[in-house]
Amino acid sequence: MTEPDRTEASPLAGLAAGVVLVVAGVALFTRALVAGAENGITLGGPTTAPIVVTGLWVVVAVAYLGTQVAAWRRRGQGPIDRPAWRAPLLLLALLVAYAVVLKYTAVGYVLATLAFYVGAAQLLSTRPLREVIVRDAIVGAVLALGIYLAFTKLLGIVLPAGVLPL
Amino acid sequence: MNAFADLIDGFGTVLTPQNLLYAAIGVTVGTLVGMLPGIGPALTIALLLPVALELDDPTGTLIMFAGIYYGAMYGGSTTSILLNTPGESASVATSIEGYQMAKRGRARAALATAAIGSFVAAIITTVLLTFVTEPMARLAVSFRASDYFALALLAMVTVTAVVGSSIVRGLMSLTFGLFLGVVGIDALTGQARFTFGVASMLDGIDVVVVIVGLFAVGETLFIASRLRDLPEKAVPLEPATGFAWLSRADWSRSWRPWLRGTALGFPFGALPSGGAELPTFLSYMYEKRRARNKDEFGRGAIEGVAGPEAANNASFSGVLVPLLTLGIPTSATAAVMLAAFSYFNLSPGPQLLQNQGTLVWALIASLFVGNVLLLALNLPLIRLWVKVLRIPRPLLYSGILVFATLGVYAVSGNIVDVLLAYAIGLIAMLMRHLDFPVAPAILGLILGPLMETQFRRALLLADGDLSIFVRRPLTLALLLLAVAALALPHLPRLFRGRRADRLAVVTGED
Repeated sequence: MTEPDRTEASPLAGLAAGVVLVVAGVALFTRALVAGAENGITLGGPTTAPIVVTGLWVVVAVAYLGTQVAAWRRRGQGPIDRPAWRAPLLLLALLVAYAVVLKYTAVGYVLATLAFYVGAAQLLSTRPLREVIVRDAIVGAVLALGIYLAFTKLLGIVLPAGVLPL
Repeated sequence: MNAFADLIDGFGTVLTPQNLLYAAIGVTVGTLVGMLPGIGPALTIALLLPVALELDDPTGTLIMFAGIYYGAMYGGSTTSILLNTPGESASVATSIEGYQMAKRGRARAALATAAIGSFVAAIITTVLLTFVTEPMARLAVSFRASDYFALALLAMVTVTAVVGSSIVRGLMSLTFGLFLGVVGIDALTGQARFTFGVASMLDGIDVVVVIVGLFAVGETLFIASRLRDLPEKAVPLEPATGFAWLSRADWSRSWRPWLRGTALGFPFGALPSGGAELPTFLSYMYEKRRARNKDEFGRGAIEGVAGPEAANNASFSGVLVPLLTLGIPTSATAAVMLAAFSYFNLSPGPQLLQNQGTLVWALIASLFVGNVLLLALNLPLIRLWVKVLRIPRPLLYSGILVFATLGVYAVSGNIVDVLLAYAIGLIAMLMRHLDFPVAPAILGLILGPLMETQFRRALLLADGDLSIFVRRPLTLALLLLAVAALALPHLPRLFRGRRADRLAVVTGED
């Protein structure tokens, strides 16, 4: 996807990502080393690859952090482009809720998917719910029911039936 | 039997109603997803894997997947030309001149030269593929473990060096993929690695989970974070009505770029050099340099559409060479196709042609069939396809999330995998914001374990003697090439110009 991306990420975001990557890399590298110490490190053994990969991670992350520090020095704290975090985080929460409802409740695939669809469409929309709910609900219902019937009746892949008499 | 007779047999397999149906479904679905921004062939194939497994027809499935790939390329060129939003990096070059042509009312000519050029390139390179596959497979038999290790390393390094805006970002993405590839039980010793005590992680992280996370979930979250910048509906330029697609002048300006693009695309695809991005840009720059009317470039020169589109399609046939004969994927889509092979317990490599000759030749024959179907399907139906672009964004992306969840859930039946895909999606969204390419992560995930296995096998065969990697000339040559691939972009400033071109596209400047 390449919608015109007019603003570059702020140097602050790059710096933060660099720090997180270095910290994560060091933590994983340490863990790989501990596993190596416990089980022995031989070149052809199972502990080598994790050490090499996480070691590479640390090196590359440090290099990335270096480029971000350089960018920071060059540009200073310029105008920061703040992406809107509310919508993606709510969407992520909705996704997790959807998965949990599918797995652990008796709501069933069709109703859970319908509710998720309407919710996700609303989070991705700039129009108010009352304007689009009928359209979204119809599309969501057709989609959910279509998938359910196609998968269970035609393909034999089991999806939770739930409370609907299907 | 010679290659020609094998191919005829392949046509015999493909030209059954059922397989033709698979091919038709493939190209249609492919065109559809190729037009939708952010959803490429890799994701589509990943989402279709559970369905394909259920159908249990390896030949039909692979025919469908090849159709999806070609269809996605056609669809991608359509959005590049009409919307100036290339769906993947390989169609960025097309959008430079294609969108300008469309703005000047020449959308039909741009679409036609793209479609016909793709067709020409695909037919020529499929013929090449037919004759290269067998000798290549014979050569591949002599490949040892150390060669495979070096080859996988080369493929990884070149893709990383070519894709994206900086090598450091590409390497970071690659390392992330390599790390995901390490997770799970070690195949040789049974030792658990980075499973963090979660039982379902013991099997490792499925490629479908990673691709769904990186592409579908990541893309949708990215869209959600940019809602205020995006309109609810895309507004494509309307291709004018009428019968004439290409004028005589268009034909005479197009055919040489088609052939030159084809000549660039196939070898670059076949060498482990990272698929279609490099040849499309080389083709664009070459056409620009040798054009008599240079000032037309940037304002809609048909050569700038014809060349890159041919190169794009030609490179796919090229990518199939190392995939089928060596089992080495050199693009994200090839990586998913490799995963599809392994789902059917087929292992691409030198033995595939011997053990599964029918399947391979049917696949190659289906490339011809798919391209004919595409040409018949796309140009006449272009107005219908354009309607797809008008689906409101919220409906589209909510649907993508439903399918993404379904794809992961159906393939694993495991909620941990679903949540993992969401988590990877969150990481992918951040990667997009910070300009990290995602393709290296997938290659790292696929090629990393392959590299490790071959490395350990080579060591085992050499009694732990590391010098095996420098004693064998082929291994050494491949390793040196890998080093060169990392160093090369720094030498000429060629790549700087290329990036400047792309930046201009992304920022919408002329």
